[in-house]
Amino acid sequence: MGEDLKKSLVVAGLVLAAVFLLKAQEGGAPPAGPGGPGARNPAAEAAHAAAAERGRALFKENCAACHAEDATGGRGPDLIRSTLVRHDKNGDLIGPVVANGRVEKGMPPFSSLTSSQVSDIIAFLQSQITLFDLHTRFGPYPNDIPAERLATGTVEAGKAYFDAHCSSCHSPTGDLAGIAKKYNPPDLEVRFLYPSGTPSTAVVTVPSGPKFEGTLVLNDGFYVGIQGKDGWYHSWPANSVKVEVHDPLAAHAALLEKYTDADMHNIFTYLETLK
Amino acid sequence: MKPFAALILFACLAAAGVPAQEFNPELLNKPLSSDWPTYNGDYTGRRYSSLTQINRGNVSSLTLAWAFQTHGRSLESMPIEVDGIMYISAGNEIWAIDARNGHQIWHFARPVAQVGGSNKGVAMWKDHLYMTTPDAQLLCVDARTGKMIWQIQVDDPTLKAFGGVAPLVIRDHIIIGTSGDTADLPGFLESVDPMDGKIQWRWDAMPKKDDTVAWNSWPHDTNVSTRGGGMTWITGTYDPSLNLLYWGTGNPHPVENGDARVGANLYTCTIVALNPDTGKLVWYFQSSPHDTHDWDTVMTPVLFDGTFKGKSRKMLAQANKNGLFFVLDRTNGKALISEAFVPANWVKGYDDRGQPIPDPDKEPKPDGVLVTGGVGTNWQAPSYDPDTGLFYVNSRETMGVFYLTMPGKSAEGWAGRDFFLGSKSMLKAIDVQTGKIRWTADTLGRGGQSGILSTAGHLVFTADMSQNLVALDASTGRALWHVYPGGSFGTGPITYELDRRQYVIFLDDSVAYAFALPSAPAHEPVASRGSHSSSNP
Repeated sequence: MGEDLKKSLVVAGLVLAAVFLLKAQEGGAPPAGPGGPGARNPAAEAAHAAAAERGRALFKENCAACHAEDATGGRGPDLIRSTLVRHDKNGDLIGPVVANGRVEKGMPPFSSLTSSQVSDIIAFLQSQITLFDLHTRFGPYPNDIPAERLATGTVEAGKAYFDAHCSSCHSPTGDLAGIAKKYNPPDLEVRFLYPSGTPSTAVVTVPSGPKFEGTLVLNDGFYVGIQGKDGWYHSWPANSVKVEVHDPLAAHAALLEKYTDADMHNIFTYLETLK
Repeated sequence: MKPFAALILFACLAAAGVPAQEFNPELLNKPLSSDWPTYNGDYTGRRYSSLTQINRGNVSSLTLAWAFQTHGRSLESMPIEVDGIMYISAGNEIWAIDARNGHQIWHFARPVAQVGGSNKGVAMWKDHLYMTTPDAQLLCVDARTGKMIWQIQVDDPTLKAFGGVAPLVIRDHIIIGTSGDTADLPGFLESVDPMDGKIQWRWDAMPKKDDTVAWNSWPHDTNVSTRGGGMTWITGTYDPSLNLLYWGTGNPHPVENGDARVGANLYTCTIVALNPDTGKLVWYFQSSPHDTHDWDTVMTPVLFDGTFKGKSRKMLAQANKNGLFFVLDRTNGKALISEAFVPANWVKGYDDRGQPIPDPDKEPKPDGVLVTGGVGTNWQAPSYDPDTGLFYVNSRETMGVFYLTMPGKSAEGWAGRDFFLGSKSMLKAIDVQTGKIRWTADTLGRGGQSGILSTAGHLVFTADMSQNLVALDASTGRALWHVYPGGSFGTGPITYELDRRQYVIFLDDSVAYAFALPSAPAHEPVASRGSHSSSNP
């Protein structure tokens, strides 16, 4: 932890503590967390986006030589992970650094930038921080992996694999016709690897003889529950009936254990041609 | 870090007498029985209780003794119980509950905008409770009244750091970790003074220059080693005889881009042994060198002693998120066993200390790569039963596909995307002498992602994937009792005994359920354990 982070932590802690103490004494509404309450305001969001775009150009012109065009740093510090940037409120911390520079560290003053230009640069930095923070496993950002990046196999090898292992259930001109138009590239790949969500079916035989057939809803070792073909739900203690489960994904599960990375790339490359 | 003293909001309350319910640190050194005074019950992390009233022969008649409602706040915490009072927590809240009957004694709710967020549990020292919060603060609360005594800021929430980890108390040290893996930030452990929160020492997961081996496990032509990773999400364990604190650290950053950080990236994905008085590193074992799959090593390092291959050993076992089971000599961190407990295709072999060697072909690639091993298990606590010699872990076999979406040296954040396909969950009982699976609870759902408790009653308590709470035979995995409480169980069961009645506690969604045998055996309550009302206003 750098010295300036330590300082800003202390400052942040003091501010939070002071706000907390104040509010506790007032018995008033609790203070808003970092970033404030999350009420959406489309007009303000659009204005912020426009400012960020202006800021992007200004940043490229004035700052990118040292901080890189995406603000991740180069000769100068990374501004995405900068505590000073993240703790800035309306330019109170960034403004003075831009205006005065950090001459001792080699950053000249940028005193010709107007305060509205500095605001635009800050809007750009905030949008970059949001972008990088969203770049998580669960975030929306990398969902647009282009097909070209995934299609590193060959159509011929993919078709040969398909014909050998998939064609008994699927057809490129039947159920899979146009499949590559239906799903974006990563979704198509993940779905052919394992199309989860398809329920199992079961045949339940009760001791008196009758058989019940339907979609398997519950099977936890203690109870068996199915949605019957008549639409009604039925359940039994598991130890009182005989249950035969049919998992339509069993073939996919068996293949999933055997795929090599090359198989995956080849099959995707082939399926991507089914448009 | 003296300025933190300025953050103290209220003077510490002077101790008024010595109430019966005050936490006695000696509790943590005794075999686990009547109380559950810390996150894992005791320092060993075994989550094994010597209580036998509920046992293999009678567990089928286990019934509800009482329930406690938070009225909607969901619970992910491990409760603690000391002398008849149970403390449970959520993001910014603590409830003190009469452990005999479930009645609330007090409710602490911090006045902040966001009351949500998860919490893993509180720690107790004398008459103080400690918890870490979603905005990365450490709070000290009076255990008698539920009034806040002080709070300190321990990490930077604008960098998406958050609290939640249950602190660990070792003598006069309150030891805390920190969480978060959205923005790249460096992990650490801190020890603070129980009275005023003043920092006593700090251990950083990111090495300093004079620590040559660790320093050289990162490139230094970018700032990647200062951004780091190595978060300290889950409470560690402690060996009083060696005076060593064991803690696991999280993954390096950028998470799925290894090219940006060529090297082993110490001390991420590492079990570290520290001196709890100084924070100095004594040894380390890196369970995922140069991790590129988010396989943080935060699963409990479980401590036990015994004979291993004819030699008396002090051991540490961990079932890791990366699919590998390790038994280490906990005096020096050398592996006695390194063995996969689920298929793990990312491992090329093991080095001379038993650390795995990752296969570079299984690092995330722009066109995707198929990886097995993770998430073999997660942070939910396992259990070790010294009677059976079995280590119980809720495991998951799954195929992951990992995409590198942000290549290059300037990548930050996650830098990739992963999907897990077709997972198969089961409870596995691992023989600690061989690392082999002794039994696997059947595949009809038994074996979820919940924490585990084992007892001398020859029982294993957990929840299954269908969210049934279950008691299994410790030798065979056969289900002997189950109930479906209708929620989800994300933490671990605990057990304690009061008035000679044994209780098993499950926190399920927003309800704490206490199960016991239908009625207490015919005994008078034991006078020396007192009643909570005498010292609780």
